[in-house]
Amino acid sequence: MSSLAQTTPAPVRIDPHLDLSDYEADADLMVLNLGPQHPSTHGVFRVKLVLDGEIIIKAVGYPGYLHRGVEKLCEKLNYSNLTPIFDKNDYLAPLINEQAVNMAIEQLAGIEVPRRGRWLRTLLAELQRIASHLVALGTFTLDVGGAIGGGSTLFLWCFRDRELLLDLFEQLTGCRFHYNTTCVGGQRHDVPAGWDAGVLAALEQIERGLLELDSFMVDNPIFIDRTRGVGVLDHDLALQLGVHGPIGRASGVDLDLRRDAPYHCYDELEVPVPVRTAGDVEARFQVRLAETRASIGLVRQLVQGIPEGPINAGKPNTGPTTIKIKGGSCYVGVESPRGELGTYLVASPKGPNPWRLKIRPPSLHAVAAIPWLLPGHNLSDAVAILGSLDPVMGEVDR
Amino acid sequence: MTAELRAVIAELLDLDADAVTDFGLLVPADSHLALAETLQTHGYTAYVTVVATHFPQAKATKKNPEPDPACIEVATVLRRPAKGTSLTFSWRVRVPEDGAVDSLVALFAGADWQEREQFDLVGVGFDGHPDLRRLMMPDDWPGHPLRRDYAIETAHHPWR
Repeated sequence: MSSLAQTTPAPVRIDPHLDLSDYEADADLMVLNLGPQHPSTHGVFRVKLVLDGEIIIKAVGYPGYLHRGVEKLCEKLNYSNLTPIFDKNDYLAPLINEQAVNMAIEQLAGIEVPRRGRWLRTLLAELQRIASHLVALGTFTLDVGGAIGGGSTLFLWCFRDRELLLDLFEQLTGCRFHYNTTCVGGQRHDVPAGWDAGVLAALEQIERGLLELDSFMVDNPIFIDRTRGVGVLDHDLALQLGVHGPIGRASGVDLDLRRDAPYHCYDELEVPVPVRTAGDVEARFQVRLAETRASIGLVRQLVQGIPEGPINAGKPNTGPTTIKIKGGSCYVGVESPRGELGTYLVASPKGPNPWRLKIRPPSLHAVAAIPWLLPGHNLSDAVAILGSLDPVMGEVDR
Repeated sequence: MTAELRAVIAELLDLDADAVTDFGLLVPADSHLALAETLQTHGYTAYVTVVATHFPQAKATKKNPEPDPACIEVATVLRRPAKGTSLTFSWRVRVPEDGAVDSLVALFAGADWQEREQFDLVGVGFDGHPDLRRLMMPDDWPGHPLRRDYAIETAHHPWR
């Protein structure tokens, strides 16, 4: 790595609430709406950009286009019926979203998941992290310009490798996408015979794919020109914004809930946490690449040591069952591929549904960083910065 | 939570040190900002979330002839980003239905959108917020959907 990437840049912060009447420009200001349907926003999201020539001087974000009232819906459903809704929040990491809400319910209901159930959850979470990061890396190669990734070549390579994982999930749960495999108290589906061999074979292919991605992008001078020093988020601002996870770790925030507040079986594992300090778009790419490799190592350990025992605390609930919780509230945070995915659950004093359930989506915090990150950059950098945040609008808007 | 921090919070809130818990501590509204500032200087530098919960007035019954008035509880969660063990601290502030709490935007930039969301969906105000607008719902949306007494079965403009 060159010395440029090793020096931590001095924080330059721009007021996101800049009053345009205070801005003196020779040229006329122009307003440009990026989105709501723009490929680089990875969903339906609008950013209003105020431009002075080609330079962005103010960015105002407008989420809400995918707001479906998930939190309101939760107030009307039984605890055991919540899981399938959470699959659709972060649709690139549904397994981890399922686990997050079920962990909160289990904590309030005082249910302990057996070790094999927790082990399977850990294994699935890491597989899901690989699948999610493959999408993040693949779409990002499109965002920085097709020429670097050879048109859509790298993007499709990443999707080809992710497909292997989706096949494995399908063998396990019967679904490619919205699995509904986590239930209150454990897991619904046990691993089929021979599944572990399939996992190891898929990992080998994915590792080869990552090598290709690495050799294509990381030392590519065009890629470095597009990404180094672009969209810098400093360490303190990342913490204040609540941008933990890979984006925070690219800004030097050495925090990973798998290691620092372990849940599932993570306390039995050594979780490598890659950290970069540059805080720019390049660092975010490198962190995701390193995390994918780390997850591959974790899955190899996990899949070869699945313990014996039940996967569920009781009988797996296959239909609507009533779980009784008498009041109380809790906060549970898990490490999703996008950062800290939290569930704040306030239980009804009586009745089988939550009184209030708040999801803390990591992507909302990442998107909230956009007004801080874009000003001062060229318009063409906006797309690279948005892509590097890897937001999933389904969980931003809920 | 370290014993030192426990003592500092107990002094700030005028409580016994044993009464200070790291989850769900009920705090008077005028200490909200001071508590957040104290926590930030004691290492709880990572912003996690803010959750507003609506409690409408219960119906008067024989057992409970004078139920508590309607209120909104605003819970804030902060995290201490330490390698090895990362702890959270959360506290609640209770305000009346049309009330407001102090905004944390000056301390935590992430509170900006989070507080806008709670303002939008639950209808609690945040004093000192630089740009308190709706975040999810359209600007002309009537009511606040995450209030417990918000009727979801009736028709709503403009989609039903």
